[in-house]
Amino acid sequence: MVMYIQFFINVFLFSSFNILISLSFSIIYNLTKFFHIAHAVVITLGAYFSYALYKQIELPLWFAIPAAITGATMMGMLTEIVVYRPLRKQGVTPMSMLIASIGLYTLLQNVVSILWGDDAKTIRSGEVTVGNEIFGAYITDTQFVIMFVCLLLFCLTLFFLKFTALGKAIRAVSNNPELCDIYGINANRVILGAFAIGSALGATAGILIAFDTDMTPTFGFRVLLYGTVVMIIGGVGHTKGLIWGALLLATAQHLAGYYIDSKWMEAVAYFILVAFLLWKPLGFSGKRLKKVEI
Amino acid sequence: MIDYLLHLAIFIGLYAMLAQSLNLAAGYAGLMSLAHAGFYGVGAYTTAILSVEYGWNFWLNVPVAMLVSGSIALVVGLAALRTVDDYFIICTLGVQVIVFSIMNNWMELTRGPLGIPGIPSIGILGFTLDNKMAFLVLTVVLASLQFFLIRNVMQSSFGNVLLAASEDEIFTQSLGKNVASAKMVAFTLSAVFATIPGALYAHYVSYIDPSSFTTDESIFILAIVVIGGRKNTWGSLASAAFLVLLPEALRFLNLPNSTAANLHQIIYGLLLIAIVMRKYKRILIKTMSKDKFLSV
Repeated sequence: MVMYIQFFINVFLFSSFNILISLSFSIIYNLTKFFHIAHAVVITLGAYFSYALYKQIELPLWFAIPAAITGATMMGMLTEIVVYRPLRKQGVTPMSMLIASIGLYTLLQNVVSILWGDDAKTIRSGEVTVGNEIFGAYITDTQFVIMFVCLLLFCLTLFFLKFTALGKAIRAVSNNPELCDIYGINANRVILGAFAIGSALGATAGILIAFDTDMTPTFGFRVLLYGTVVMIIGGVGHTKGLIWGALLLATAQHLAGYYIDSKWMEAVAYFILVAFLLWKPLGFSGKRLKKVEI
Repeated sequence: MIDYLLHLAIFIGLYAMLAQSLNLAAGYAGLMSLAHAGFYGVGAYTTAILSVEYGWNFWLNVPVAMLVSGSIALVVGLAALRTVDDYFIICTLGVQVIVFSIMNNWMELTRGPLGIPGIPSIGILGFTLDNKMAFLVLTVVLASLQFFLIRNVMQSSFGNVLLAASEDEIFTQSLGKNVASAKMVAFTLSAVFATIPGALYAHYVSYIDPSSFTTDESIFILAIVVIGGRKNTWGSLASAAFLVLLPEALRFLNLPNSTAANLHQIIYGLLLIAIVMRKYKRILIKTMSKDKFLSV
């Protein structure tokens, strides 16, 4: 019984990360229709900036975290302004955007490596606590806060997309760019806004993950790939599907962790991805998978 | 000194072969794959396991490695080729991660992070290729063989279907060409060819571990192809030489080792972005595709 509760706690914790990451990624993806791989660096930078401000300069935590999120968000917006916007203007294919994005990721990730080194860093302070006991299972205060913040941000973002002017514009442009152009919605500004929101969410997720586990310059890439898998199995353009996708992924990974070995958890995520692409290519939602268009 | 130059030449040869085999998929068929380091690793690991555990020789190992890698590619292709563009890349990235995690975690088969030491040198007609000169000759011979094979395949009718499909897939299908199977064959062939440099690498360094076949390595190989120009076989060779020699040039800057490695990646990251920005395209890549397709 205790084992089951611990299992559910772990699954929920892991899914809440993944929901946040995939949400931050899919806001950008739905709008620009290409895989913004450099988003991984924004996630990493959120964690590393807060490490630099909190641990190296020793600023108080309440200042360090918002500043780190702001810094990483600026970086995300900068990638859009410096690289993606000129490329869009030239009308290059999503494929070329993806290659530019891979280049950008390689570039920035190595800058992080040079600045902070490749070894694992942590922003936790003090000793590791056992945590609170709930029916014999353990959960630390930090993990509790993480789950709460993730779910809160998810709900807030959904409200934001539904009710604010920018949120509506984002949904409108992801739905039909040409019509928005006719109605005089400035697509570039909307995309920049989406990059800002997506980057802020991604950076927050990065910080939360860094509080739960350690960070290395490449951890953003790993979590981003989980986020992508969640997005694909949840159904692209289907925000609520992300919850199902994240829960399915986390459950499958943790089952594999318990019954086989935790070292295979990463491989399991991709087996699920391939299985979904084979048998349920539309994910949980009904949206069509991208195919060659006539 | 001369040994060092030979060593560099061998590595240029290996990466040129890798880039050419990836060019088959990424260039001609338009299938940007990030699984290439995985297939490269399959070649290296198959030959390492067969020769260390069972004492097979290189010439038997390579066909087996080709078979293994080809069948993996066939299965992967079944799933991945249902998708296009960015989905395809994520799919192949997944395969790369799975293959890497098998190399890193399946202790009984691959010894995991410990790697496989003591891979013997290649024997040929009673000679053992244990000096660098002989190995370089073998590399060059195999590389040129692969070069001409790929060239001939691309000039066959199969190559024309691929070229046409990369220009306009729907139109090619409307001519009654089977685009799906052509892509499948191209992807599988590219995986099969990637095992040859893999096997050569294993026998050359005589010790392999998973760290040579990471996602970063896949990105590196893709960068070689993109920087050299897709569908441009000579370009792949030139950019392989450039990117392999670049870290050696960076040594003159007297940086610490880890920073030099990062700087190397930063440079090809920048080059990738620069290539895509069309302004620089004319300087860096010669796009042969259009003229070539029109002349076919």
